[in-house]
Amino acid sequence: MSFDIDIMFRYGPLLLSGLWTTVHVCALASLLAVAAGLGVSVLYGLPMRPVKLLCRAYIEVMRGTPILTLLFILYYGGPSFGLTLDAELVGIIGLGLYGGGYFAEIFRAGFESIPAGQLEAARMLGIPRRLVVARIQIPQMLTLIIPPSTNQVIILVKESALLSIITVAELTKNTTQMVNETFAVVEPYVAVALLYWLLIEGIALTGGALERRFGYAS
Amino acid sequence: MDFSGVISNHYGAFLAGAGMTVTVSVVSIAAGMFLGLWLSFGLISRNRPIRLPSAAYRSFWRGTPILVQLLIIFYLLPEIGLDVPPVAAAMIALTMNTAAFQAEIFRGGLLSIRPGQVEAARMLGIGMPAIRVRILIPQMMRLVLPALVNETISILKNSSLISVIAVTELMRTSQQVVSVTYRPLEAYTVAALIYLAMNLVLARAGAWFERRYAAAR
Amino acid sequence: MEHKPVVLVEGLHKRFGAAHVLRGIDLAVESSRVVCVIGPSGSGKSTLLRCMAFLDRYDEGRVFIEGRLLGYREVDGRRVPDSDRNIDSVRSVIGMVFQHYNLWPHKTALGNVTEALRVVKRLSRREAEAIGMETLAKVGMEEKANAYPARLSGGQQQRNAIARALAMRPHVMYFDEPTSALDPELVGEVLEVMQELAGEGMTMVVVTHEMGFAAHVADEVVFMDEGEVIERGSPDDVFKRPRSERLREFLDTWRARTI
Repeated sequence: MSFDIDIMFRYGPLLLSGLWTTVHVCALASLLAVAAGLGVSVLYGLPMRPVKLLCRAYIEVMRGTPILTLLFILYYGGPSFGLTLDAELVGIIGLGLYGGGYFAEIFRAGFESIPAGQLEAARMLGIPRRLVVARIQIPQMLTLIIPPSTNQVIILVKESALLSIITVAELTKNTTQMVNETFAVVEPYVAVALLYWLLIEGIALTGGALERRFGYAS
Repeated sequence: MDFSGVISNHYGAFLAGAGMTVTVSVVSIAAGMFLGLWLSFGLISRNRPIRLPSAAYRSFWRGTPILVQLLIIFYLLPEIGLDVPPVAAAMIALTMNTAAFQAEIFRGGLLSIRPGQVEAARMLGIGMPAIRVRILIPQMMRLVLPALVNETISILKNSSLISVIAVTELMRTSQQVVSVTYRPLEAYTVAALIYLAMNLVLARAGAWFERRYAAAR
Repeated sequence: MEHKPVVLVEGLHKRFGAAHVLRGIDLAVESSRVVCVIGPSGSGKSTLLRCMAFLDRYDEGRVFIEGRLLGYREVDGRRVPDSDRNIDSVRSVIGMVFQHYNLWPHKTALGNVTEALRVVKRLSRREAEAIGMETLAKVGMEEKANAYPARLSGGQQQRNAIARALAMRPHVMYFDEPTSALDPELVGEVLEVMQELAGEGMTMVVVTHEMGFAAHVADEVVFMDEGEVIERGSPDDVFKRPRSERLREFLDTWRARTI
C-alpha cells in the first residue's frame, strides 16, 4: 500500500467537479427541505384534523423510510406514472422531501417551545402581533432550531453520497469512477473522505457562528 | 400498477430480505454499543492520549458519508490482506459507524450524572470499573434509551446501503424483484412499506420507554 | 506505643488556580471526639473536609488517617501521588456524608446501603442485606428499604446516605454540610441521627451551619475564615467567649438571621 500523489493531480479536477455538484445539489435540496419543513409545520399547527393527519403521515414516511428507497421509487418508479426526471433533479427533490420530514419536526418543536404566557404578556403590554413574531418568537426559536438545523444539513450532505447510486456525477460517483479507471483504492478514498470531512466541518463551523450570532445565552 | 402480482410471487424473497436487514442491523447495533461504551469513556477521559484518538475516531465516523465508509471497508480490507465476505464488511462498517454515534449519545448521558455520585462511591472504596458497570452505565442507559432507539432506526435505514456491495438485504431483494418483473414502482414501494412498518414499531417502543422512565423519575 | 489521633492534618495548603483557599491548616481529631467546623460560606471549610478525604488533592502539608499518609507516598523525601488502591485502603476507615446526599437514584434505599458491602467487602447478598436492614433501622429507615431515592424526602435521603456510610463500619465519619440542602422542618431528623451517633462514641468531623448542633454535641469547635483557622476551643469558649473580631461578627450575623 503506497500513496501515489501523481494520480491525485490527474484526477483532482474530476473530484473537484464532483464536490461542486455535491455542494450545489445539497444547497438546493436544503432550501427545498427547509421550505417543505416550514410549510408542513405551519399546516400542522392549524386546527384541522385531516390536514394534521396528512402532515403526520408525510413526516412518518420520510423519517421511517431509507432515502435510497425513496430515490429508487422516484427515479425508477417515476416513469410508471409519467414522471421522467433527470437524475440530478430526482436527487434534489428526493433529498429535499426527505429532509423536509426532519425539518418539519425541528420547526414544530421550535413553535411549541415558546410558552403561551410570554405571548400573553406581550399582548398585555400592547405589542402588535407582527412585532411579537419578529421580536419575541423568532429570536427564541432561532436559538433552539439552529443547532438541529445545522445537524440536519450535515446529514443531508452525507446522504447525498447515495445519489452516486442513481448515477448523479457527484463526489462519491466521481471517486468510484477514479477507482475504476486507476485501480487505485487508497488515494481516491482518502481524498473523498477528506473532502467530505472538510465540507462537513465547514458547515458545522458556519452553524456555530450562526448560533453565536443569533443565539442568546439561556 | 400490479402490487398483488409483485407481492404474491415474491413475498418469500421480501421476507428473507427483511430478515437479513434486521440481522445485520441488530448485530451492528449490539456490537456498536459495546464499542461505543468504551469510546464514550475515552471521550470523557482526563487522559489526553486516550481522549484525542477517541475524538478523532468520532470525527471521522460521524463526519463522512456512510456509503463512503462502507466502500472504504469493503475495498480497503482486501488491500491489507483481509478477505472478508460482503456481509461481514457490511457489519463492520455499520458497527464502526454506529459506535461513534452511540458513543456521543452515551457521553451526553454520562455528563448528566452528578459527579457527587461517583465521589460517594469512591469514598466507599468502590473501584472505577465497578462504578462504571454498576452505577454509571445503568443510569445512563435509562437516560439515553430514546436516543438509542433513534439511532437504531437510523442504522436500520442505513443498512439499505449495503445493497451496493451485493448483500441481499431488503433493498437488494427488491432490485432483484425489479429485474424479473420490470415493476420498479411496485417493488420499491413494497420495500418502503416494510421499512416503514419496522421503524414505526421501533418508534412506538421508544415512545413507550420514554413514558415509562419519565414516570419513574 | 505512640499515640495517634484518628485524623491528623498538618500545615495543609490548597490552591484552585490563583485562589489560595486553604492557608496552613492544622487539626487533630482524637478517637470518639466530635469536631465541628464552622465559618462563613467560602471560608474553605468544605474544601478542608474534601482534602481530608482526598476528594480534592492538597498541595502542601499532610493528612494522616490512623497514622497513614493519605493521597501521597514519600519516596526519598519527595512526594509522589499514591496509587488508587492505597488511597482506597487508607480511606476505608472514613465514612462520608455529602450536602446533596449523592444517593444512586437507580438503586433502592437498601440497594444504596448494600452496594459497597457487595462490591468492596464481597459479602453475599444475604449478609449484605442483613447488615443493610440493621443499619437502615438504626437511622429509622427500615420501612423505606425498598423505596427509590426519588420517592424519599430530603431528610430520608440524607438518613439513607448516613446508613450507606455507616454500613461499612467506618472509624470516623465526615459530614459535609449535611443539612444545608434540607427544608427547615427536615433538619431535625438528620441532626437527631447524628447526635445519637456521637453519643455512641463515633469519631466525627462535621462541617455545618447548625450552631445549635455544634454547641450541644461538639467536643471542639473550629472557626475558619478565608482559608485559616481563626479560633478553636470548646463550644463554650467559641460561642460564649469569642476572642477575635471576625468570630464575633460571624456569630452576630448568625444570631440576627435566626431571630
